[in-house]
Amino acid sequence: MSKPDYVEIVEEIFYKTKEKKTEEFKYVGKDVVRWDAISKISGQPVYTADLLRFIKNPVFVYSVRAKYAHARIKGLDVSDALKYPGVLAVLTARDIPGINDVGYVIPDQPLIADRKVRFIGDTVALVVAESLENAREAGELVSVDYEPLKVYLDPLEIIDPETLQEKPHELIHDERGSDILTRYKIRVGDVEKAFKEAAVVVENKYETPFQEHAYIEPEAAIAIPEADGGVTIYAKTQCPFDTRKAVANVLGLPFNMVRVIAPALGGGFGGAEDVGNEIAAKAALAAIRFKRPAVLLHTREESIIGHTKRHRTISWYRHAASRDGTLLGVEAKIILDKGAYASLGPFVAWRAVVHSTGPYKVRNAKVDVVAVYTNKIPGGAFRGFGNPQVTFPVERQMDILAEELGMDPVEFRLKNILRNGDRTVHGQLLDHGVGLEEAIKKAVELSGWYEKRRLYASLKGPVRRGIGIAIFYHGNSIGAEGADYSSVSVIIQRDGSIVFRTGLTDMGQGAIQGLINILAEVLGVPPHYIKVELADTSATPDAGPTVASRSTAMGGNATLVAAYKLRKRLDQLAASLLGCKSPDDVVIEAPKVYCRDDPSHTITWRELVEQAFWKGVPLQEFGYYRAPPAEWDEETGTGAPYFTYTYGAIVSDVEVDLETGLVRVKEATTVYDIGRVVNRTGAELHAIGGYIQGMGYALMEDLYYDSEGRLLNTNLSTYHIPTALDTPEKFNVYFVEAGYYHAPFGAKGLGEPSIVAIAPSIANAVANALRSREANKLVSKHPLTPDYVYSIIKKAGVKP
Amino acid sequence: MVKVSLTVNGVKYDLDVPPTERLLDTLRNRLGISSVKEGCGRGECGSCIVLVNGNPVHSCLTLTSRLDGAEVTTLEGLAPQGKLHAIQVAFIEARGVQCGFCTPGFIMITKALLDRVKEPSEKEIRRWLSSVLCRCGSYPLYFEAVKRAAKYIKEGKIYFDEKEVREKYHLKVLAR
Repeated sequence: MSKPDYVEIVEEIFYKTKEKKTEEFKYVGKDVVRWDAISKISGQPVYTADLLRFIKNPVFVYSVRAKYAHARIKGLDVSDALKYPGVLAVLTARDIPGINDVGYVIPDQPLIADRKVRFIGDTVALVVAESLENAREAGELVSVDYEPLKVYLDPLEIIDPETLQEKPHELIHDERGSDILTRYKIRVGDVEKAFKEAAVVVENKYETPFQEHAYIEPEAAIAIPEADGGVTIYAKTQCPFDTRKAVANVLGLPFNMVRVIAPALGGGFGGAEDVGNEIAAKAALAAIRFKRPAVLLHTREESIIGHTKRHRTISWYRHAASRDGTLLGVEAKIILDKGAYASLGPFVAWRAVVHSTGPYKVRNAKVDVVAVYTNKIPGGAFRGFGNPQVTFPVERQMDILAEELGMDPVEFRLKNILRNGDRTVHGQLLDHGVGLEEAIKKAVELSGWYEKRRLYASLKGPVRRGIGIAIFYHGNSIGAEGADYSSVSVIIQRDGSIVFRTGLTDMGQGAIQGLINILAEVLGVPPHYIKVELADTSATPDAGPTVASRSTAMGGNATLVAAYKLRKRLDQLAASLLGCKSPDDVVIEAPKVYCRDDPSHTITWRELVEQAFWKGVPLQEFGYYRAPPAEWDEETGTGAPYFTYTYGAIVSDVEVDLETGLVRVKEATTVYDIGRVVNRTGAELHAIGGYIQGMGYALMEDLYYDSEGRLLNTNLSTYHIPTALDTPEKFNVYFVEAGYYHAPFGAKGLGEPSIVAIAPSIANAVANALRSREANKLVSKHPLTPDYVYSIIKKAGVKP
Repeated sequence: MVKVSLTVNGVKYDLDVPPTERLLDTLRNRLGISSVKEGCGRGECGSCIVLVNGNPVHSCLTLTSRLDGAEVTTLEGLAPQGKLHAIQVAFIEARGVQCGFCTPGFIMITKALLDRVKEPSEKEIRRWLSSVLCRCGSYPLYFEAVKRAAKYIKEGKIYFDEKEVREKYHLKVLAR
């Protein structure tokens, strides 16, 4: 079978530009000022809630939420709420015309709870009223008759950590017959033999916390009924096509009756996946019913209670190594605290198992990942998606092993890392760019690793310094999770200006800028010719979700394909207009177009476009790209789970106050192999912003529940994220460019990778600062809050 | 209802507001000023910071009914029509803009800082900017923006022609 044309195009451009240095491109890899920068420094972008000022005669929708974390609903009385002034209706599960489910991967999550509630945050009714205040106040009057059930907050009450078997208990998901959502495993080589032969074995238990996205824009949705019975929804969502599917299912409408538009997004980080579907569906229900615009706005508290989190994990890791520092085997059990619903949990658990042995040559592995339901806010997608949760224990283990072996952590890693031509633990041959070794060496150089390691070991007094490294790899895009494709549309207007549309969203990190740079580079037009339209399900064929660090690679490929096809046609036409020897000799440097050997004889880009119009040369193109298929064997955990990987090395330099346990990061060094830097500004912002978010995860962020399952820190004064005062004094940012032949100019993703190894690098630095073998093992969970670090200092007897 | 006479970005408004109405809602819902963002409604995130009589306040914690005679400045009022303020230009040049939701808050707190301290130290910049939360993590680039803005203002370059800024920067390659 011949290759599809889009694969050939991407490969052709990759090999043509393989040796070209990034500096030599015109727009790729440059600091192009993002398309929305001027509107953003003027406060002009329209986020969903800002649309309210254009909406006339709206109704407001408010979610009445469960007061118990686990209970059966015996009855629901809405009569008092209905009598409240301004209330139009109280919608319950019975009012849903389609399917009452918004489960992302499996249908386990009702939009409005009908039979039982599973966490404090489940929606039990929707109040629709003339004002938000009235809706909220009336919500207090909805009376639910609950039969409380036993609340499970600890997954170890449900699963036996020894056998990984489910214990008898009062089921949260009785309809499924089990509260084990999913299991994944790796069975490679002979682990028993490896451990028997090992000179050094290190084992430890690890915990990673929940993490709240805390995007500064709370969720909002505005649904507008259409004349044909359909609905158009503006909503905070990362994935408009997934939102459309969820809304269509809830409303019982065909997809073409539901249009979803994502206005400017004030952050997403994975959090604006499921919740986008929920809020859109709730607003759409009311809009269709009352034939009026329907508005749903979350407060910060509703946002924190009402959207998914990064999964908490508990894991047990055992590593075996030989005396010379060769890794012999890995054994691990990882439990994901799932919370009440599956959300993206099955995919998170899968990404966790794939990455569970780190970027190392591992021949013998036995790993089990189990996702277990509890009565807490569901875990879902969050930048990194299961990988940070396994990279933390793996990278802590590496440091403990290095200490046991008397090796430097860098030397120990260099002995075991994946390089070009190696096979991953899953047996996947890495036949292209593995820039990990270069990344480690660069990070070591930029951070002054060896000097600091020496210097810090001799510091006296109550304030210690420490430096730590962590490395990782991260599979790009969705891999074996499902069909992996993307699309864009490019329309050249008659005046030469260009409209660019994609169903991929920009959560704020500037992914779309990378696509603009690619389009401009290939077409030969300056980026300011291009206008980006809002992500819209009617703008392109399904572009797939905006997740999994796939915008630059997948969206970039689709952009490349569209630009290439347009360029081919225009080159052909220009060659005949200008009399060039061949279309390949046409140079487009808009506004100038000329033949390579005669730059003095030019036509303008606008003239070329006008001629194309009159001659019937199509000025519009859909770009489509589908990723090579991924393979995964469920029984052994082998195959080729992702088509390519981003690699990275992070070095953190910290200060630890032995008298208070307070940790401060002084300097951060991040080196990522992203194949090719397409959008330099965006890449650096990811490196820095991802670090700061990861530092929050490492040092301060966690969710605290009371014994009944009520979340205690539901706002930003109790859920702490890093501020300007926490920001490290210095960042060293560097990119390695080990290209991938199935990606635009070789580019790999950086969205998620930018957070994966931050927490372990900081934890390793803290352990280094404590300079105690016992303390090294005790640094086994995060956040590394002052009280936790202080308890380690006391337990290990670390003295100033 | 309370009668309030209020100047917002140089325009005088005579309003009748409920005694409990927040300045945030007055600005967003009555006056259509949408740079003022609600991120938490509790004075925690700083995205709603505006200047009242030159002082930075959380508009979500300020009652309009208490502001009779006050002068309110939002991002929209930072520069005259057709101009951009040096702080805004500095924020473009520092390349820190990401999702943009917190950006108005950062620009307003920077204005308040530079009105008081002409050449703030790194420590002062961090302390002042810690009033606003940015989850995208642009802080170090925003520190840079404040320093650039301070330099422009010191040189007397306070307002820039918006059209020229657009031509110079919109989707243009920035030199390092």
